[in-house]
Amino acid sequence: MNDIRTKISFVESNARDRVKQILDSESFYEMLGPFERISSPHLEKQGIVPQNDDGVIVAKGKIENEPAVVISIESAFQGGGIGEVSGAKIAAALEMALDDHHNGIKTRPVIILDSGGVRLQEANYGLLAIAEIQSAVVALRRYMPVVGVIPGKIGSFGGMSITAGLFSKIIMTAEGRLGLNGPEVIEQEAGITELDSKNRQLIWKTIGGTQRVATSLADELVEDDRKQIVNAVQNAFKTKPSKPRSAQVEKYISILKQVNPKENINPNYFREFTPSLHPYMQSNLQRPLEAKSRGQRWFYALTSLEAPNTKISTTVWSGDAKLGNEKARFITVGPDPGHRFPRVREGEVGLEEGWALAHTINEVIQADAGKEQPRPIIAIVDVPSQAYGYVEELFGLHQACAAAVNAYADARRAGHPIVALLVGKAISGAFLSHGLQANRLLALDDKEVNVHVMSKGSAARVTKRTIAELEQVTADVPAMAYDVQSFQQLGALYELISGIRADHPTKEDVDEIYRKLQQAVDDIHSKRDQSLAERLYSSLAKKERSTSIQVREKMQKQWND
Amino acid sequence: MKGVDKMERITLSYQAKSLLKKRTHVGVVGSGDLEILMEPNEEKKANVLIRTGTEGYTPTWEAVLERFFAKHDLAASIEINDFGATPGVVQLRLEQAWEASRINE
Repeated sequence: MNDIRTKISFVESNARDRVKQILDSESFYEMLGPFERISSPHLEKQGIVPQNDDGVIVAKGKIENEPAVVISIESAFQGGGIGEVSGAKIAAALEMALDDHHNGIKTRPVIILDSGGVRLQEANYGLLAIAEIQSAVVALRRYMPVVGVIPGKIGSFGGMSITAGLFSKIIMTAEGRLGLNGPEVIEQEAGITELDSKNRQLIWKTIGGTQRVATSLADELVEDDRKQIVNAVQNAFKTKPSKPRSAQVEKYISILKQVNPKENINPNYFREFTPSLHPYMQSNLQRPLEAKSRGQRWFYALTSLEAPNTKISTTVWSGDAKLGNEKARFITVGPDPGHRFPRVREGEVGLEEGWALAHTINEVIQADAGKEQPRPIIAIVDVPSQAYGYVEELFGLHQACAAAVNAYADARRAGHPIVALLVGKAISGAFLSHGLQANRLLALDDKEVNVHVMSKGSAARVTKRTIAELEQVTADVPAMAYDVQSFQQLGALYELISGIRADHPTKEDVDEIYRKLQQAVDDIHSKRDQSLAERLYSSLAKKERSTSIQVREKMQKQWND
Repeated sequence: MKGVDKMERITLSYQAKSLLKKRTHVGVVGSGDLEILMEPNEEKKANVLIRTGTEGYTPTWEAVLERFFAKHDLAASIEINDFGATPGVVQLRLEQAWEASRINE
C-alpha cells in the first residue's frame, strides 16, 4: 500500500477526474456539464472570466454497483467558492438523491470538498445555497450515510466546513484542512497575535487532517492515494454509521465545559485532552441579565420574561412565551462582556453558542415529541459574525455551528414552525447557525439590519480588491451588498417589516411583530412543506434567483434521463 | 459597469475543411490556466471566442492560434476561458483538446 511506485495521487487530480476515480469505471454520467454552459451570470459583469461548469462537477454512476451521486468542487476555479450556480448544483443533486430515497432508490451521496466557502463575488447567493445544501444533507442522512472527502489543496472552509460537520463520515488526507475561518481571515479580524496566517506548520497542526482525525473531528485519515481513498469511500457505505458528530450535543458540551480558555491551548492540549465523561453540571442560570444588544432587547420585549434561561452559555438566551394562543420558544444569541471565551464577547457565535443553540432546540424537540402541533421556534437574529479565534478553530467551531444547523433542521422536519426574525446583523456562519434553517425569514426594515458573508476588510483582502472597489461592485450586485433591502431582492425574505422602532420597540411595535410572527407561523402550517423550497417560490426569487431555479429544473430532467 | 477587474473578449476566425470528430473539454479557469471547449462546426470554419482576464494581448492570441491552425485543419467552434495562461500553456491545452477529440471513447 505504501509503495510509492503504485501510488496515484488523488489530490493532484482535478475535480472531474476525482469523480471518475470514485465512481465504478465506465459509470460516470455528468449532469449540467460544461457543454450545458450554465456558468455564473454574476462574474462576467465584475470582470471575472467564468467557467462553464461553475467549478462544480455532479455525476451519477455506481459505487460498487450501487447507484451513487458524486459531487466535486474544483478549487482551482475561484478557490472552490460557492456561487449561485455551483451552490444550486450541489443542492439540486442532494435534493434529487433525497427524492431517490423517497422512491426507494438507495442512491449513495459522496461530496469531495475543496472550497474556501461562499464565493465572495456572489456573497448572499452562496449563503442561501449553503443553507439549502445543509438542509438537504440533514434530510438525506436519515436514509444513507453522506460521505465527505477532503483531499486537500484548499480544504474545506466557511459554510462548507459547517456542511462537512453535518456529514456521516469525513475522510481526509494529511494535506486536507477543515475549519470555519480561513487563517487569513482570522489574522485580518483578530490580529496577527491571534493567528499568523503565514505559519503553515501551526495551521496544519491545528486544522489539518492528521489533527482532525486524532481529535475525532474527522473519521479516517488516508494517504494521498487513489486506491486508499476509493476503498475508504466504499467502506463508508458498508458500516452502519454512528451518531453524527453534529448530533452528539451533550458529549461536546461536556468537553467544552472542561476546557479552560485561559490555559496555554495548542494542538497537543486538545489531543491529550481527556475529559471525564460524566454529564456536565448544568448551571441552570436563570437570573435577570441586562440587555446589551438589540437581539436581547427584543428577547425581553417579545417574551416578557424576567430572566432568560442561559443554561449552557450566558450568550444564548432562551425561554418560552405566548405567541397567540400557543407557547413558543424564543431564542437569541447576544453579547456578554465577561464571557470566558473572549472572542464571543460581542455577540459572535462561538463554540459554546453553537452547541448551546443545539441543546435548547433539542430540548424543545424532545419535549414536544409526538404532539400534534409542536411549538413554534422564534430565532431572534442579531449576530455580528462567527467567532474569529485560534481556540475556536482548534476545537472545531465549524462543528459547533453544524450542531446548531442540525438541530434547527431537525426541528423543522419534526414539524416545529421556525421563524427567524432579523432585528440586527445576520452575518455569515453565524446566520447559517442561527436563522437560515428557519421555514420563514422576517426582517425589520432598518439600516442596522445587515446580511452578508464577510466584513468589508476581509472580503477586500480575500478578493484582492480595495474597499473602494468592493463598494463599487456592491452597488451593481445586490447579493454582494450589506443592506437588508438588497437581501430582500433575492426573494428569501417572507416579509420586510417597516415602521418598527428597531432599537427600542414600543408596545405597538411588539404587537405588530406578534401579528407578523403569527402570520408566518400560520403560513407554515398551511403550506405543510418542511423543506426550504419556499424561498425559491417567491416572485422576487423567480426573478433574482432564476438561475438557481433553472439549475434545479435541468438537474431533475437529466437525473431521470 | 466600470470594471474593477478588466475582462476582454476576442473573436477570431480561420478557414478549415475537416470537421472536428467530437466535442471535447479540457482545462480549468484557474490561475495561469484556461478552459477550452471544442465543438464540431459545420460551417467549415474555425470560430474562436476568447474571454480573458488579462487585457491587451490580442496579437499574442492571434499568433498562438495562427500557429495552431497552421498545423491542424479543424472545423470547430472553440471557446476559450482564460485566467492568465502563458502562450506555452495555451498551446499545450489546444493540443490536448485536439488529441482528446481524436480518442474514441
